[in-house]
Amino acid sequence: MKIFKLPDLGEGLQEAEIIEWHVKAGDAIEADRPLLSVETAKAIVDIPSPQPGRIEKLFGRPGDIVHLGAPLVAFEGAGDDSDAGTVVGKVEVGARVVQEAPSALGAGAGGAGAVKAMPAVRALARKLDVDLAMVTPSGADGVITAADVQRVAKVLAEVGPAEVLRGVRRAMAQNMARAQSEVAAATVIDDADIHAWPARTDVTIRLIRALVAGCRVEPGLNAWYEGHTGRRHVVGKIDLGIAVDLPEGLFVPVLRDVAHRDAADLRGGLERMRADIRARTIPPEEMRGNTITLSNFGMIAGKYAAPVVVPPTVAILGAGRIHDAVVPADGVPAVHRILPLSLTFDHRVVTGGEAARFLAAVIADLQMAQ
Amino acid sequence: MADLNLVEAVNRALAYALASDPAVVLLGEDIGVNGGVFRATVDLQSRFGAGRVIDTPLAETAIAGAAIGMAAMGLRPVAEIQFTGFIYPTLDHVLNHASRLRHRTRGRLTCPLVIRSPCGGGIHAPEHHSESPEALFAHIPGLRVVMPSSPARAYGLLLAAIRDPDPVIFLEPTRLYRLFRQPVEDDGEALPLDSCFTVRDGTDVTLVSWGAALQEAQAAADLLANEGVMAEVIDVATLKPLDMDTILASVAKTGRCVIVHEAPRTAGLGAEIAATIAERGLYTLLAPVQRVTGYDVVVPLFRLENQYLPSVARIVGAVRKTLEAS
Amino acid sequence: MSTVAQFHVDYTQYLDPDGEPVQPLPAFAQDASALLPLYRAMVLTRAFDSKAVALQRTGKLGTFASSVGQEAIGVGIASAMRAEDALFPSYRDHAAQLLRGVTMTESLLYWGGDERGSDFQAARHDFPNCVPIGTQVCHAAGAAYAFMLRREPRVAVTIFGDGGTSKGDFYEAMNIAGVWQAPLVLVVNDNQWAISVPRARQTAAQTLAQKAIAAGIEGRQVDGNDVVAVHQVLAEALDKARRGGGPTLVEALSYRLGDHTTADDATRYRDADAVNRAWECEPLVRLRKYLMRMNVWDKAQDAELGKACYAQVEAAVADYLAIAPPDTSAMFDHLYASLPRAMREQLDMALAFAPAAGNHHG
Repeated sequence: MKIFKLPDLGEGLQEAEIIEWHVKAGDAIEADRPLLSVETAKAIVDIPSPQPGRIEKLFGRPGDIVHLGAPLVAFEGAGDDSDAGTVVGKVEVGARVVQEAPSALGAGAGGAGAVKAMPAVRALARKLDVDLAMVTPSGADGVITAADVQRVAKVLAEVGPAEVLRGVRRAMAQNMARAQSEVAAATVIDDADIHAWPARTDVTIRLIRALVAGCRVEPGLNAWYEGHTGRRHVVGKIDLGIAVDLPEGLFVPVLRDVAHRDAADLRGGLERMRADIRARTIPPEEMRGNTITLSNFGMIAGKYAAPVVVPPTVAILGAGRIHDAVVPADGVPAVHRILPLSLTFDHRVVTGGEAARFLAAVIADLQMAQ
Repeated sequence: MADLNLVEAVNRALAYALASDPAVVLLGEDIGVNGGVFRATVDLQSRFGAGRVIDTPLAETAIAGAAIGMAAMGLRPVAEIQFTGFIYPTLDHVLNHASRLRHRTRGRLTCPLVIRSPCGGGIHAPEHHSESPEALFAHIPGLRVVMPSSPARAYGLLLAAIRDPDPVIFLEPTRLYRLFRQPVEDDGEALPLDSCFTVRDGTDVTLVSWGAALQEAQAAADLLANEGVMAEVIDVATLKPLDMDTILASVAKTGRCVIVHEAPRTAGLGAEIAATIAERGLYTLLAPVQRVTGYDVVVPLFRLENQYLPSVARIVGAVRKTLEAS
Repeated sequence: MSTVAQFHVDYTQYLDPDGEPVQPLPAFAQDASALLPLYRAMVLTRAFDSKAVALQRTGKLGTFASSVGQEAIGVGIASAMRAEDALFPSYRDHAAQLLRGVTMTESLLYWGGDERGSDFQAARHDFPNCVPIGTQVCHAAGAAYAFMLRREPRVAVTIFGDGGTSKGDFYEAMNIAGVWQAPLVLVVNDNQWAISVPRARQTAAQTLAQKAIAAGIEGRQVDGNDVVAVHQVLAEALDKARRGGGPTLVEALSYRLGDHTTADDATRYRDADAVNRAWECEPLVRLRKYLMRMNVWDKAQDAELGKACYAQVEAAVADYLAIAPPDTSAMFDHLYASLPRAMREQLDMALAFAPAAGNHHG
């Protein structure tokens, strides 16, 4: 209910006598319609309605004296804005309805563990060009002290400035770090007996063929796995990443669809790849999208390894140095040529059995003469 | 020059003020005939008369309110609230009126009053007699809050408070009332308000404290000196407005700060000092600021009181933490 | 069993609601024309009061506490006081303030949100409006003591409402002033309402005047709508105080004809008929009737007075509206006698964020 009170009549007039009402309770009226006539000391005056509405109640009868501010008429209606809802000041009424997203109880998301050092120590580190991440703290609670920073600064002065990794080396640092943190790596090791190979067998081509054989038996090792979403994509086509070692660093160009290419085609592709890499003309697309990787590190040195599986691939086959070894053959020792094999797989998506069966197929293919 | 304890120094200062300024009046419960329950006002009524040393009814609200009326009409009232446990009824008048009278009348009316009250624990007292309310008052704009830590500073700061044209809350550490004596010249010399006192020079850590806790701070400094750690000790004295320049200069020198106060930790004045150091002195810090305070508990009755009050061991421990960090 | 103490409370009235004397008028009122200044003061107060309400309604003034219907109390008090006395008002005592020399413009500045409104150019020792209920009574007691100590023939007068008599400050102040026998006059504007709480629910005491008995001082009741009675009772109390006779509590019965403040709507808790009946006892009408009957006043003069007061009010409003808001630095002025160094940084920040010159918002 909104109450309309006797307004300022002007000229210092304080009161008036009700002469006649022009409306009654229940009437629906428009703004400015005369509500009543009142007589002041000066004249008879009509008081207009300040608003449209339906009259709920009248205050006072003809003959009554009403004073400034006294109630005259009550209008029906929702939104009783005659109630200020306070006795002092003005409490703003807003119509906005706020939808608030659920808020976290306690701390919000994000915020990794930071290096702990006082501002003075940080300033010192900046001045001495020491990366605080490289400093082992000796203070209580893992706090890096000024002495720690001084120590590292001295060491760095002796060993010379650090080199900032760029390009391929930088990419390798980032990829391997990510691989290490995401992948559940497991490795299975074995040897292939290749004494049956003819002379001048192309080792890389045989490895590629053997790897294809492994994929046929266990296609799950030729796949992409996205850890955050938990989705695996077993790929039909085998795009083989081949680790290539150059002075600039590790390159892994991709030989496409190796399962459907013959030896000559593969050899040609390999040679073109190597030439392009050396000339640094290999396009970026050729460095992406491998479904499985081969690392023939044995060409340099080393028998076995646990090479790193770089996501989203799930397997990498490492071939070690071919060497002569004494093996039992028909019950008697014999010297055979041995090709060591290391298969590292992402145990989040590949089982030990799948890996072992893959490796068995690889070995079986390699052990064939042709 | 006589050796006075703190309560005697207060008495001398009040006497000097009453003698030298006819506008000064004292009012409070039991301050006249009885000389005050702690004898802070002993002999003053017989010397200056019951009109100027007034035994009031038991009415803290009226004591504070009437003091405001007196002050606005040109007297310089020094009201005693018998214990800070009973000071809370005065908060309305202090906060709503005394601290605002000058501001809200644009200087037309002013309020040169002093409310003095014994505060702090360590006197084996019953409940409600061991309060440390300085932070409550320090939060009020337009007010001054002063807490002396020695007889000489009590004398000089009380005179300054009485002479100040604005309201001052003067909190007297009860534990120090008779704890030790000091030569005090009864010469009417005031000490400056709004200023810290560096009571001990040092280079390795700054101890900031006020009131009775200065005793433990000094004792801790002695112990640390034996280990070769030289602590600088600052008596804040005027808690509002804070003299942060002195504290910051000291922290710039030592790089380490331990704040000691008896009042509870949360929103105690140690927090204000630590925050200001973080704002203005962070780059000079070698270790985070430490606070050694009363716990956020109701002050325990005296059987546990010693475990509540900041101890020398806790202070030394805090200093050691600052040394380890750097 | 024997009676060890009894009390009585006297009630004083001279003019009934119709302006008819119920007893011989006191000496000062014998000549009816002596009452004209009182009448004019009441009319001016009401004109100011109505205008202030209208200003609030049009957004030109903040919350305002109307004194409509209670003009006789303030005019009766202030007309009996001397200039050198000191007034400790509530926030509804515009009548007393205006008669003591506080200007309408100063009052509008206060309610318009400007501290300069309390820097009275006249009445230099009067306290400003007091919002924390009843606290002014303690201040008045202290002031009275100061006058007494310095042997000044000055009296502290304080006004507060029926609600204020429930407050501890009121009793403590009355009690301490009683012990001191200080030159204090306490006046209760008993207008029957403390916001929405009616007098019957404020205390079980039959009268508010008798609360004086508990403090050992005299308590009297007076018809607060009869300016002759109020003036006379106050004059007696002031004289008694000045002669060292101690404090007096005067309960002036009136009615709060308006809302508690402009933000209050009394129709929520009050009966319109009761208010209308109260209007029939209001102070201006009864004095007007008496003055006209005594042939010292007529309708034409009344109309003239209305216009003149209206013009006076309009002029004060124009002055008020022309005063620019204070500078940002005013927040820091008069905080202490001189701004402590420690606060300089805060003042600088406020100045740095101050609105551009000429860009004021109220």
